[in-house]
Amino acid sequence: MSRPTSDREPRRPIVPRPPIRGGSTREADLPAQVTWGPATAAPSESPFMQGVRRLRKSVTALVGLGVVVLLLVVAMFADVLAPHSPTANDQMSTFQRPSWEHPLGTDQLGRDMLSRIIHGTRISLLVGVSSVLLALFVGVPFGMIAGYYGGRIDTMVMRVMDLILAFPIYLLAIILMVIFTPTAGLIGTMKVTGAIAIVRIPIYARLVRGSVLSIKEKEYVEACRALGVRDPSILFRHVLPNCLAPIIVTTTLGIATSIIVEATLSFLGLGTQPPTPSWGWDLKANVAFIQANAWLALFPGLAIFITVLGFNLFGDGLRDALDPRLK
Amino acid sequence: MRSARTSLSIVVLLAGLVVAAPLLADAQTPKRGGTLRVSYGNEIANLDFHTAPGYEMMWVAMNIGCGLVNITPDGKFVGDAAESWTSTPDGLLWTFKLRKNVLFHDGTAVDASAVKFSIDRLIDPATKSGMRAFYESVHSVEVLDPQSVQIRLKQPYAFFLHMLAAYRTGLVLYSPTATQKYTLQDRQQGKPGSIVGCGPFKFVEWVKGSHLVMERFDKYFVPGVPHLDRVMIRVIKDPVTEMAAFKNGEIDFIASFSPEHVDTMKAQNPKAVIMTGKETTPMLAAMKVTVPKDGRPMSKERVPHPLFGDVRVRKAIGCYGIDRKEIVKIAFKGQATPWVGMNPPGTLDTVDVNHLCPYDPAKAKALLGEAGYGPSKPLTFELMANTEKSVFNVIATVIKDQLGRLGFVTANIRVVDKVHWMNTTLQDGPWDMYVEDLLSLITLDSNGYLSNSTSTWSHPRHNDPKVDEYYARYARELDAGKRKVIAKELVEYMADKMYWNNISGSPFYMVAQPWVKGYTYNAEFEVHWHTVWLDK
Amino acid sequence: MRVYVLKRLIEIVPTVLMITLVVFVMMRSIPGDPVVALLGDAYTEEDAVRVRQEYGLDRPILVQYVIWLGKLVQGDWGSSILNGRPVLHDVIIRLPVTLELIALSMAVALAIAIPAGIIGAIRRNTWADYTATTIAMIGVSIPEFFLGVLLLLVLSIGLGGALPSSGWVYLPGTCPTIVCAAGLLGNAQHVLMPAIALGVGRAALLTRLLRASMLEVIRTEYVTTARAKGLGERPVVLKHALKNALIPTVTVMGLQVGFLIGGAIVVETLFAMPGLGTFGIDAIIARDYQQVQGFALLTAIAFVVINLIVDLTYTFLDPRIRYTG
Repeated sequence: MSRPTSDREPRRPIVPRPPIRGGSTREADLPAQVTWGPATAAPSESPFMQGVRRLRKSVTALVGLGVVVLLLVVAMFADVLAPHSPTANDQMSTFQRPSWEHPLGTDQLGRDMLSRIIHGTRISLLVGVSSVLLALFVGVPFGMIAGYYGGRIDTMVMRVMDLILAFPIYLLAIILMVIFTPTAGLIGTMKVTGAIAIVRIPIYARLVRGSVLSIKEKEYVEACRALGVRDPSILFRHVLPNCLAPIIVTTTLGIATSIIVEATLSFLGLGTQPPTPSWGWDLKANVAFIQANAWLALFPGLAIFITVLGFNLFGDGLRDALDPRLK
Repeated sequence: MRSARTSLSIVVLLAGLVVAAPLLADAQTPKRGGTLRVSYGNEIANLDFHTAPGYEMMWVAMNIGCGLVNITPDGKFVGDAAESWTSTPDGLLWTFKLRKNVLFHDGTAVDASAVKFSIDRLIDPATKSGMRAFYESVHSVEVLDPQSVQIRLKQPYAFFLHMLAAYRTGLVLYSPTATQKYTLQDRQQGKPGSIVGCGPFKFVEWVKGSHLVMERFDKYFVPGVPHLDRVMIRVIKDPVTEMAAFKNGEIDFIASFSPEHVDTMKAQNPKAVIMTGKETTPMLAAMKVTVPKDGRPMSKERVPHPLFGDVRVRKAIGCYGIDRKEIVKIAFKGQATPWVGMNPPGTLDTVDVNHLCPYDPAKAKALLGEAGYGPSKPLTFELMANTEKSVFNVIATVIKDQLGRLGFVTANIRVVDKVHWMNTTLQDGPWDMYVEDLLSLITLDSNGYLSNSTSTWSHPRHNDPKVDEYYARYARELDAGKRKVIAKELVEYMADKMYWNNISGSPFYMVAQPWVKGYTYNAEFEVHWHTVWLDK
Repeated sequence: MRVYVLKRLIEIVPTVLMITLVVFVMMRSIPGDPVVALLGDAYTEEDAVRVRQEYGLDRPILVQYVIWLGKLVQGDWGSSILNGRPVLHDVIIRLPVTLELIALSMAVALAIAIPAGIIGAIRRNTWADYTATTIAMIGVSIPEFFLGVLLLLVLSIGLGGALPSSGWVYLPGTCPTIVCAAGLLGNAQHVLMPAIALGVGRAALLTRLLRASMLEVIRTEYVTTARAKGLGERPVVLKHALKNALIPTVTVMGLQVGFLIGGAIVVETLFAMPGLGTFGIDAIIARDYQQVQGFALLTAIAFVVINLIVDLTYTFLDPRIRYTG
């Protein structure tokens, strides 16, 4: 996370830009209106390549990336990697201590903990990534439209976004899940994804809107319009690429938050339901046995922790790489 | 003269010592004072004893309120506010003689008119009491004189005293003065002054989510008790937190401890007193037998449930397809009794019919085949469990697994919260099978209101009048021997028809610190703290 | 400017109303209603219908909402359907507990963030910097309830009850009821673990912000000049940089309080604290409509007001940012 100091850089008093309201503020903390148009690019190198170069130099970002890639691999090849089935009961071997046969021991129903954690990766990543992507695909268009067209559309869209943001994140997620009624299997996972996504949409909407607002008045946009380029084209070809950096950063950090929210919902009994293997559920179910069989609760907790840490490190690294001024 | 007087004094003194010696030698003299800190796993619903649901309320009612009689762990009746009672040989007329010095906490006397007031109130449909069904056989209540009350029954009721003593709270006497002075809402929320009973403890305050406090009633009619100054009840829902609080000595008494964690409790607190007995609560995997004819919930016209309406399917799944021993081993670590009979092992007139339903997958498959199910036509249904106790889910998971071994049966588990579950089951909603442990049963008769074909609480909603006949005959038979025979027939019939699919008993545990003395364990039925004292 | 402030203040009302309306509608969309739980064993269809009529649950949703609103402006927050307890009373009793938890969580967050931020700024890019940032990053990555369980395991069970595992001791003077434990020490013991569980996660963001802010301030000419006068680095940093860095930090803290209001739900549940969080979730699960409305109302007002204060402080700080509203 090193950055060269330079006296030639413009000095500005540090005042954070309009902060993103609501939610967990684990991510998307600082500026929404990040601009990095042509002004900051080195003449011979695209901004993207600049970012990648910086990223490569950052140890923490690489560590984070490594963790994320590892998790993706585990999730994809869960069936092959897991030594046992995550849902097979075995009444003969309940509460076994870690051993060769069961490296992470077994739980109350005799299920192999390692297999459950491996398969749980799938669910956690699925919920984490898809909830954020869903929020993205809904929030970004709304934000762009609101920022670009302004006026009444802007007010209407932002009112709705503010309404969602006005809820403490867990309160809204809890009520949504109680309405949806938590279930198991794919449908259940989709419900959790939907609930978390709804709560996160405003973050992306505001983010993009902020970016759009600052770009809107730029000359080249006006020039485009004068040339007769159609609005959607302007939006996608000129405005969107400039918001890309904060979107990417926010998304990465957002995955981390989503995973924690899913785990918390499961802890309250309102998230993924069994027999779908879920870290959050296992954590909740096994916390009760923590005094005698501590590993049963510790391992899912560690899994959540490492995953979230990975995404946070990578996201942080991304943020530093893509917009060093935040440093 | 002086010497005679001295001798007399010495004799009196010696006599006194002789009399006192056994008392002095008894090191277990109850110490007076202190606060018993109790922990509940669930919140109290509300404080109107006659209408509120839940054990948490009932145990409060048993200490703040008093009734006519109580029952001991070995099934004998002892007087509470009543000091004696008689009944006519035909069992239709009961006369209770009340003690003279029983007072309500507001100072008014507990007399025959208060008893009449209370019973009439419970019978009145406007009160909407859940105990109303128990008083069906009561014809009328008469005040003979201030200390004598006479209850006339419509037909003989063999369990009249059981009912008065321990069906739910048992009869709880309400003060006519206080009941008329305060509203139902006042009592529900625990407004000071509105919660009036005649028990050993009087109500101080209830702060929902924080605590409920009761303190010694000085004018309690049994002298010398309660020993405790106060009882303070807290709600700690999370078992880990509850165990930590117990280990740290922050609480003295856990009123209902989760069976799953008994081993951990023993390991962490070797000196803790863990109380349990033969199970009195059934753990069911109930199957819905009929559904409303035209889809209108609660309709009186029924048709068989598409899957479980067929008795062959019910027996295949519930009787032969489930390995009760394995369930008990996994869910309760063997600390429960695999049981097919409708009333659990600790209930009066319990009948062991386990031989009628051995685990027999081959037979299950054969029966299912007869009913038309097989590899080409698999059986799939929904298995509902609620989140009140995590063990329901564990049992559901094991059942799912076991049925899966049959090859073509899939049970899809659906976990819902308790309110949702109640709504679905009570309102004749769509469900196939659920795992739950309903209410504890002190007699087979006490579940009559659950099992009868006409009862709202008969979730399976079988409409078999034969069951009603059995219950009626059982309740009216005054001869204990003949009752046993009827009980056997009823339980065997229920097992044969699988209207009530019992898996095992549901064990009940209470845990106390080693310094808590004097508590008499009587399962969920009688929880009394007035004999308790703290040895510290 | 003044017009803007006034405008925002007035806007609070419709926002809060919208929130309570949304909650109202959502609660009634939940399958199952409290009447069944209320009647319990005595449930019969006729009684259920009658009770629903009594409580007005059979009217159209918007009508019910208007009725609730009407009572609200008269100061009546309604009573719980399930046990008749007045909602306002219960909410007021629970409020101090949650307020204290939130305040102390922020204090914990600052206690971690200020030293970490200072170290990060002074000793930039050294191992101390990395360590501080990493610790903050770890804190952000642990779910609150897991951290709570670990704390419980280590500090309460592990130390043989040095810290109590659950319950609450009120601050002297804030006892809401007749029987109540109060005491400064007891209170501190009960609030410590929950505050740590909740506060650690907030520290990361504050650390980063403090560090970045202080770095910028350090580089301004003013500080360079001061240093040139020979004042030495540490007093310079502590006095000037920190003071300036705290201002934006405080605004972000305001936002984090918003999170804490919700995050308190989980921690309070774990430590069995009689606060608003447990009140809210118990009410939602029991479908106690009136209680949920009271909880939502209070939470919404708090949230919206805090956001407003943050926005205003922000505008006040940076006159370049114009809200044309």
